[in-house]
Amino acid sequence: MEFSVKKFDLLQELSLSQGVVERKTTIPILGNILCEAAGNQVTLTATDLELSIRTSCEAKVKKEGSGTIPAKKLLELVRLLPEGEIRFKLLENHWVQILADRKTYKMVGMSKDNFPAIPAFPHPLVTIPAKILSSLIAKTAFAISNEESRYTLNGALLLLKPDTITMVATDGHRLAMAEIDHKFAGLTREVRPLVPKKALTEIQRLASEAGEDGQIEFALDDSHLFFRVGERLLISRMLTGQFPNYEAVLPRDNNKHVVIERNELNDAVKRVAQLADQRSHAVKLSVTQEGVEISASSPEYGEAKETLEKEYKGEPLAIGFNADYMLDFLAAAAEGPISLELKDEQSAGQMRPLAEEAYRYRYIIMPMRI
Amino acid sequence: MPKLASFRTKHDSAVTESSSSASSTSSDSLTSSILHVDMDAFFVSVELLDRPELRGKPVVVGGQPDQRGVVSAASYEARKYGIQSAMPLRTAGRLCPHAVFLESRHHLYSEWSDRIAAILGKYSPVVEMASVDEAYLDLAGTERLHGPPFATAHALLREITAKTGLPCSAGLARTRLVAKVASDQAKPRGLLWVPAGSEEAFLAPLGVRRIPGIGKVTEAALHALGIETVGQLAAATREKLEQNFGQWGTALFRKARGGDTYEFFVDAEPKSISHNHTFPFDTDERIALDATLSLLCQKAMKRLRDAGLSASTITLTLRYAGFETITRAHTLREPTHLDPIVLEIVRQLFERHWDHTRKVRLLGVALSTFTHGGEQLDLLDAGHREKLERLAQATDRLRDRFGFSKVQFGGSLTRGKEEVESSKGKLP
Repeated sequence: MEFSVKKFDLLQELSLSQGVVERKTTIPILGNILCEAAGNQVTLTATDLELSIRTSCEAKVKKEGSGTIPAKKLLELVRLLPEGEIRFKLLENHWVQILADRKTYKMVGMSKDNFPAIPAFPHPLVTIPAKILSSLIAKTAFAISNEESRYTLNGALLLLKPDTITMVATDGHRLAMAEIDHKFAGLTREVRPLVPKKALTEIQRLASEAGEDGQIEFALDDSHLFFRVGERLLISRMLTGQFPNYEAVLPRDNNKHVVIERNELNDAVKRVAQLADQRSHAVKLSVTQEGVEISASSPEYGEAKETLEKEYKGEPLAIGFNADYMLDFLAAAAEGPISLELKDEQSAGQMRPLAEEAYRYRYIIMPMRI
Repeated sequence: MPKLASFRTKHDSAVTESSSSASSTSSDSLTSSILHVDMDAFFVSVELLDRPELRGKPVVVGGQPDQRGVVSAASYEARKYGIQSAMPLRTAGRLCPHAVFLESRHHLYSEWSDRIAAILGKYSPVVEMASVDEAYLDLAGTERLHGPPFATAHALLREITAKTGLPCSAGLARTRLVAKVASDQAKPRGLLWVPAGSEEAFLAPLGVRRIPGIGKVTEAALHALGIETVGQLAAATREKLEQNFGQWGTALFRKARGGDTYEFFVDAEPKSISHNHTFPFDTDERIALDATLSLLCQKAMKRLRDAGLSASTITLTLRYAGFETITRAHTLREPTHLDPIVLEIVRQLFERHWDHTRKVRLLGVALSTFTHGGEQLDLLDAGHREKLERLAQATDRLRDRFGFSKVQFGGSLTRGKEEVESSKGKLP
């Protein structure tokens, strides 16, 4: 293997692989990146066995072949090199020589034969606008559970129907769901894979690189999900298991509505939460004819109370929520009015932004006992 | 959250008290209003109600002298032979072979404890049952109703003795710490009042061990520094104590002066709740171990709910036959006060860490990292959680009325039988 690439091109592709390479892997080869030179390009592959990424960039290939190089060190080195051509050459014992101008480096590689095989991209199922997918992720991924024992909640449900695309995520205490109309040419059935959280982060990264009109080709086989943007391919293992029946927990009769501007609510909750109980982060919302009173108290630090004058005609109600859960949603919601929809102090509350009309976005939070 | 409410009322009064003490240079402006009521040899006294013929004899509650386990309580007559609480029963048996050894009947003690709590509640709204047989009361502000604190304390002790027939003692002082030391000095059947300003003089001649919180280890360390009495401890500089004991040194410095009002409130909330069980015979019987874990969880969880708390950290203690002890903890993402959630974690911890080839001597379950209410409800599992919640409320109500042992979850029921069977197996 021998090739040369422009620093700028290589750095861009290497950076994309960094989210995938494991920092603390027990399998040494997973800390390496696979470089394959063929034709007029070099292809870079990184994997942690759950998630893999394959990208390529233009190269002058003198001798076709492949090798593996420690991913983190390679990125650091390439980042520090000046703009210009960088030459790579495979030496004996899997070492790789890197030459730039009159600078010479040799890095310890490992046999490419040890690098895990990456499945090939099957026939694409649908094409999704990168912007839509990225936006759905931003609106829901924060609600994914970090608790490893709740395996099926460690990802989001991607629900593709012939004319809608929906994403749902929950950790068992709150649920975020966003949906948008989109006609999929050629999709006749419903597809509902569970996408792991780490894959979602990487999809967002790919999507932001894809630009305003970027398109993501999506495909799946029995156990993998494929997301392709141009020459870049992200392959994720599918989460198996049954995602909870989320439709059963969507509130139907939350008839106590009050509308608050996102920024106003966000700022008030943030301030009041400073004096919330340090462990539970509970804030209390008291909704009356006078408006919404947001309060909290902590035995160590004191208490806080803010009143937002709002129109409300229903029965008065006081309900407790985890402030962090509210703020997660308020950070993801578009600026403008938010409708807060409650039933009683024991039942799930719902929040919906009224501004962003293209998306049907709802957030359901279970209250806290107060 | 009623507990939080009472906690905060107390907190408020602490703020005003400390600000008033800051404004006045003399400490005499604060009256002695903290009363520590302590039942004398409580378990023994309760047993004597049923067995009056044992009065005046050495009586030990906790089990038989050939059993493993420790003394729960000893009558004053038994104490003359050197028998103390927490001493192994076998040792007690050696010290006084002719003592009468009785099994503990905890449900009975907690019933009497509740009756005493009801009497205390008539004298002050601020009552903290520190354990089954002792309580702290703040009599501040009750003067118009009941008269000066000392007279009130006297009336209170008389009412307890008259209504229950159980002997008790009390200490009245400006701080919890001094009140507790005073009740200890007053025993049996005494009332000791330490007027404000005379705390240091009262404490000075006492051994350091009399101060609550100072145990064997600290006592030895203090002796090494040449400090034997509280007076000597009070003479030590804060720097010296902090050098030797760190933060604990700061606390010692304060304790030597009778503590301060702040301490009352810190101690008002437990930091952990735990229950241990020592098997009469080391065992590896699966059913007995499982049932014991279940019972320990139920006991700890009942106390947790009684305190109006939820816990996030669950710790399992496992002691093998050779006394080797391991503790393993798990922290829940959301605090809970429901038995099945905690029991499942405890069982998992046990499963993961028990070396099946070894016999178990003791099991313990501890709960910590508490929150007041503020429990996050579950979205996906709401119906099930609600049922568990109602179940806990119902069992607690029944237990409050009929005693803990009358209502148990099935998991702990095989316990008694198994224990007998497994112990039978070991007999020659």
